[in-house]
Amino acid sequence: MVLEAFVFLTILLGFFGIIFKKNLVMKIISMDVMSTGVVACYVVLAAREGLFTPIVADAQKGAYADPVPQAVILTAIVIGLSIQALMLTGVMKLAQNNPTLETSEIEKSNMP
Amino acid sequence: MTSLTLLWIALPFLIGFLIYLLPRLDRPLALFGALVSVAYAAQLFIARSPINLRLLDHFGVSLLLDPLAGFFILTNGLVTAAVILYCWGSNKTPFFYAQTLILHGSVNAALACTDFMSLYVALEVLGIATFLLIVYPRSDRAIWVGLRYLFISNVSMLFYLVGAVLVYKAHHSFDFVGLRGAPPEAVALIFLGLLVKGGIFVSGLWLPLTHSESESPVSALMSGVVVKAAVLPLVRCALLLEEIDPIVRTFGVGTAVLGVFYAVFEKDTKRILAFHTVSQLGFILAAPEVGGFYALTHGLVKAALFLIAGVLPSRNFKELQTQPMPTPLWVALAIASFSISGFPLLSGFGAKVLTMKSLLPWQVIGMNIAALGTAISFAKFIFLPHKRQDKAEPSTLPIGFWAAMLLLLGGLVVANVVYYDAYSLENIVKPLATIALGWLLYWVIFRQLAIKLPRVLEEFDHLIGFMSLSLILLFWMALA
Repeated sequence: MVLEAFVFLTILLGFFGIIFKKNLVMKIISMDVMSTGVVACYVVLAAREGLFTPIVADAQKGAYADPVPQAVILTAIVIGLSIQALMLTGVMKLAQNNPTLETSEIEKSNMP
Repeated sequence: MTSLTLLWIALPFLIGFLIYLLPRLDRPLALFGALVSVAYAAQLFIARSPINLRLLDHFGVSLLLDPLAGFFILTNGLVTAAVILYCWGSNKTPFFYAQTLILHGSVNAALACTDFMSLYVALEVLGIATFLLIVYPRSDRAIWVGLRYLFISNVSMLFYLVGAVLVYKAHHSFDFVGLRGAPPEAVALIFLGLLVKGGIFVSGLWLPLTHSESESPVSALMSGVVVKAAVLPLVRCALLLEEIDPIVRTFGVGTAVLGVFYAVFEKDTKRILAFHTVSQLGFILAAPEVGGFYALTHGLVKAALFLIAGVLPSRNFKELQTQPMPTPLWVALAIASFSISGFPLLSGFGAKVLTMKSLLPWQVIGMNIAALGTAISFAKFIFLPHKRQDKAEPSTLPIGFWAAMLLLLGGLVVANVVYYDAYSLENIVKPLATIALGWLLYWVIFRQLAIKLPRVLEEFDHLIGFMSLSLILLFWMALA
């Protein structure tokens, strides 16, 4: 219960960071915080019924963790990583003409 | 049949990578990939029996291919083929065609799957491919527009992921039907993701800037097919679960009216078309059971209109009033505008009649207002001046443009066969009256009107902020 509360707090903090931070790089980092929260959400849920890695062995140590959410979130982690890499590349290009990287400034010069 | 389906899903990605290896064959290969989808969709209509696949176990990938998905897949194939023909003579690099095909493949995947996790992956791949196509010109503006798109879609997909895990928690499966027993917050979070991705209602206000500032072929792809990849799952959820149906219908009416409200005041061709996409998606959602046909006609028309807007001398209506365009171009523009206004002989008419028939009583007023707004905003296009071209002056439009128009507008005429029962006197009179009233209002009021609506809601921070408001709204709708 406490763990879940912290997970949702992480997601919420990341979301507020996206809104309130002015700098584009900080916004992207906030997005990363938010996605960390989402990943943690899956991991916490997978560990609801047990903690041990589900590997077939002679001696059973205890209740297994659910492997499906973990497998699924692995895909999401990879996708999140590639999206961040793409975004940061875009930010590098933008930084040449907008050195402060403040979104309001970039928006002003690029909204028709 | 199973292996054919799997091959069809994998093929666009394979061809996309093959284009990198054989850059000389980029255009023929890309066109081939698009036409395979058209053939596959045709086969879905002929077979009539839906294909239901479940790969791996009950938490694995599930696919459903029925005539409803067939309409969307056909749209995807035709629009991609038209865009490739349009770009045939241009100096686009193989990278562009490869990305187009990867985008095509990810849209196909999103249309085929019926579980939340496969849908997530398909929508994210689609987001990345769209981003790469938007930033293709590599100007500062293109990069900003692309970044904004990717950022907003990724944040909404994070909410969606939380919703998906709540569905899993309730049912130990990611299937769409799992939404039934899921808590209301799961419905709210998943729908937020889909509404933002699909560009619907206030969550969709990122769409006008993105679609209007991209290059025309990319706008055509985005408006024609990309947003529909998130609309079909909404339609499917509405058809599967009767408690979701009112939510989807409400958003349909809301977005139809909102989009048209912005469109009638707009003075820029591409922004009208973009706002109009927001509105037309509402027609698909307002009557989910017949949404497929509407999606097909809208995809074809909107792609054609964006491609035409790309070859017009200006984007501003004031300037277009003073510069007559060549008559053949005007004819193409008029055919597309007539179809979207619901004029008989074109399949936009049949789609509109079918949608209007399937509405619930409380939706009728809103949708009729939206139809009237459509007629008003397209009167702006129809009444643009045109002149006959001199024989001496060679035509400036490339052959690829006309090939694309032939494909899209021809598709509009042929698609009439889907619902030819629409041609009864009563059905014909109503759209004609709507169009006449729309034109009257255009000449009397909107032609002179110079109101500029503020664009504050389209700012980046507000778009993100609106997500939290939409989330609260969705939560109460799901709870009710």
